[in-house]
Amino acid sequence: MSEQSAPEREPEDETLDSDPGYPTDAEPYPMAWPEPENNRTEPEDRRHISRSVEKNDAKKLVTGEGKFTADFKRQFPEIAEARVLRSEIANGRVTHIDTSRAEEMEGVYAVITPDSDVVPDKKYTSTGQAFVEPSPWDMTVLGRRVRHVGDPIAAVAAEDRHVADRAARAIEVEYEEYEPVVDFERAMDDDAPQLFEPVEVENAQPGHDYERNRHSHFDGEIGDVDAGLETADHTFETSVYLPYQSHLVPEPHTTIAYTDEDGRYNCISSTQVPNHTRRQLARLFDVPVRDVRVRKPRLGSTFGSKQGMIVEPIAMALSIAADRPVKLEATRAEEFYALRNRHPMRVDLEMGVDEDGSFQAANLYALSNTGAYGPHGMTVAGNVGTKTLPLYPRMPNARFSADIVHTNLPVAGAYRGYGAPQGTLALETLVDDVADALDVDPVELRRQNHVREGDLDEMSGILGGAAEGANRRIRSCGLEEVLDRGLEAIGWDDVEQPEEDHLHRGRGMALVAQGSGVAGDELGAAQIKMNEDGSFVLQIGGLDIGTGVETGFTQIVAEVLGCRPEDVLVQSADTDVSPFDYGTYASSTTFISGQAAKKAAEDAKESLLAWAARLLDEPVENLETGDREICSAETGECLSLEEIGHETIYGEDVRDQILGQATHSTDESPPPFGAQFVDVTVDERTGDFEINKLVFAADVGVALNPALVEGQMEGGQVHSLEYAIGGGLEFEDDGSPLTTSFKQYDTPTATEVPPMESIIVETHEPTGPFGAKSIAELPMNGVPPALSNAIKDAIGVRLRKLPITPEKVKAALDDVA
Amino acid sequence: MDIQVTINGDAETLEAKRADKLLDALRRNGYTGVKRGCDTGDCGFCTVIVDGEARQSCTIPAREVEGAGIETIEGLGTQDDLHPVQEAFVDNHALQCGFCTPGMVMASTAYLRNTDEPTEEGAREAIDDVLCRCTGFEKPVAAIMDAAERMDRGGEVAADGGTAPAEPTRSGGDSNE
Repeated sequence: MSEQSAPEREPEDETLDSDPGYPTDAEPYPMAWPEPENNRTEPEDRRHISRSVEKNDAKKLVTGEGKFTADFKRQFPEIAEARVLRSEIANGRVTHIDTSRAEEMEGVYAVITPDSDVVPDKKYTSTGQAFVEPSPWDMTVLGRRVRHVGDPIAAVAAEDRHVADRAARAIEVEYEEYEPVVDFERAMDDDAPQLFEPVEVENAQPGHDYERNRHSHFDGEIGDVDAGLETADHTFETSVYLPYQSHLVPEPHTTIAYTDEDGRYNCISSTQVPNHTRRQLARLFDVPVRDVRVRKPRLGSTFGSKQGMIVEPIAMALSIAADRPVKLEATRAEEFYALRNRHPMRVDLEMGVDEDGSFQAANLYALSNTGAYGPHGMTVAGNVGTKTLPLYPRMPNARFSADIVHTNLPVAGAYRGYGAPQGTLALETLVDDVADALDVDPVELRRQNHVREGDLDEMSGILGGAAEGANRRIRSCGLEEVLDRGLEAIGWDDVEQPEEDHLHRGRGMALVAQGSGVAGDELGAAQIKMNEDGSFVLQIGGLDIGTGVETGFTQIVAEVLGCRPEDVLVQSADTDVSPFDYGTYASSTTFISGQAAKKAAEDAKESLLAWAARLLDEPVENLETGDREICSAETGECLSLEEIGHETIYGEDVRDQILGQATHSTDESPPPFGAQFVDVTVDERTGDFEINKLVFAADVGVALNPALVEGQMEGGQVHSLEYAIGGGLEFEDDGSPLTTSFKQYDTPTATEVPPMESIIVETHEPTGPFGAKSIAELPMNGVPPALSNAIKDAIGVRLRKLPITPEKVKAALDDVA
Repeated sequence: MDIQVTINGDAETLEAKRADKLLDALRRNGYTGVKRGCDTGDCGFCTVIVDGEARQSCTIPAREVEGAGIETIEGLGTQDDLHPVQEAFVDNHALQCGFCTPGMVMASTAYLRNTDEPTEEGAREAIDDVLCRCTGFEKPVAAIMDAAERMDRGGEVAADGGTAPAEPTRSGGDSNE
């Protein structure tokens, strides 16, 4: 563990049972955590946390005044609009590019190709990860070697979008076409066409083998899985299939690139990772990091799609070529086939279980399709196991391995859940099959085996190393209450069957887990200044992608400093202004950046109290923060924050502005836990099914803003439902995309979502700010397995391939008949 | 080319290119509250009210709106003086990233003006053409029902009542907004 986060080893906590359920002698992960005194408060003592405070940008957004990247266009009178020319073939080489017709068109300012001087030819990864990215450097900004329909070949800057579009179409391209790889299960076959020459890629990951289209391979083991499977009373196995999923990100990827008056490269960008993008742009364009500035305005959500530098380099190169600001806004079709999607996978799982129901061994394998390039390839596959096996950490034997392969299909990337949804489908459907075979209640089987407070979770460290998620002590786990309340809400014990003989009603559930940040690979920093009117400015690198974390920051700061949340102005994610932050991903922002905000507020509070002590002539020990004031508990005398703020700046004798700063980095990534429940009615004649109700209950630690947490749970359930029953991208045999619009992609609309309930279970996570863990990704994981389990409960057939459709249900019924 | 329209109650000249859709023309002229999500009429983020009806502005050629009454999110309320629908969206936490919010608020507003008996089913129908990836629609639907009560209390439904087509250029200048 790193120095900044490793607490001194504490003596064994007296509150623990005498047998904590894990070996204590050689135990480097103490249960006790030295949290500051103010971190754990009773609900009645909380002033601004645990309150459903209005989202701090709500009024802006509801009036249309919130500014997203595209809305900044009007600030740049000379700005050009960009369009990218993308490969029309899945695998091949561009033999000829003729841009002359495009260049001659009126209103065209620049046309760039792989041969243009301004276009970097370095290999890089679009992955928005910390330096040095674990993802391979395997792509170029523009290229002649094309590996999927949508690979960028050339780009145009023109006076408006219509002209840019026409000009891009006027570029003539000739290809030499190769046979594509479209079936990811055959990508490693001896006779499969090869996508990359090994020399074309810088890849530090284990197991890459480009002659077999293998991007990476890993395996890890705890105990002895072969022996565990051999000696277990029963073994069970499954294989599940998961398709591409589009983020359906509301705001398309957009960036405005320009060179400022100091000759520095600037981007206003819809990005989750401004600091990573700054570093990566600097490397590509061969300038110092300081000569790049990246700013993030309001973000029309991301779900992982914007955890990467995807459109910025093309816009920057165009801007240099056109010598004017350039705006590049992806089209919706590009979002589907040319940018990023969730990794399709096959996940195999074999489990050994004893007659008494105890889990003895698991052998988990993922075959993941990263598409034409490898952003997030290995790390997403890693989370298939490291985010799911921790649900059952007392299982003595586990093996987890994966192959990540290339195909000539769309590039996969980060996506809400980040591998956990894929792993959860395999694990939580097989656990139900186990319960079925042993004739025990599936909930009771989970109660027997699931993670508990005090467990040492070695499953999160099964691959070893901090970057993959090291071992961890489970210091908060509310799964029992999650189950109790969820079961009650779904009405688990009283299923009323429909009167019609062909209709069958069933219930299913699944446990889910996630993390709170990337264990051992996060940094959040924040600074606070106090204004003369008693308000505060919080400058922070952590950023709001739509979930409302900035509002959470204001609540945390207000709780510490005694101001109101609306007295805290958040200045977030401008690489020139904000302290560093790794970015908003991996459910890290409340836990990491929020903790930085809390520590910065505590730093400012020290000066604030010192000022109050001086002005009130009272010792600091007597002072308390109140409602926008500091009071002496001794004399009852109070000073308002405004009075103190004014004095710090315009005081007659002493002037000394109140400033606070802090950084936060940790090896901890405490998992939030949840359970998804589904109530379904299936028509055995047609395979049609109707979801009667969804219930999701979750232990999120302390919910800093319950309404915003609920919003994550509601939206997440529908997102997960879409993964279960809709979505999926379709392709021609030659790799051409067939799904390029919202119309062709099935997602539930307002009239199609079933009734749902979201239940927040409060625990206290000592490593989190005021006891908080994460929530944003967790609800993504549960509906596919819970629905598959519910359908099996209703009609006795197991669905293993997403999306689950009436046709597949009918086919499964026909199979058993 | 120039297009004469009424926007949010004021007569305006929209500068537009021949290929512009209403969405392009509105954004080109500073109405950036209207959002672009697809350009194909599938996401509803660009929903505005044209002659009293909620319409997806990316599907309407700009030249075809000559003479029409258009309402955009900019004409509804301000941050200091929100329209009841906006208030209800804020108070019910009915938005997250906010990119679909202008479209959803306009679709909701049109629905509440054009119905005498708002129902949850009707509310869901009203925003059925507006995708929202963040909220799962639970809180927006609650907000619409809440807004219905607020507008009812404020007499807005009565004041606006009747059907929209009967009032040809519903310019957004509703006196009590």
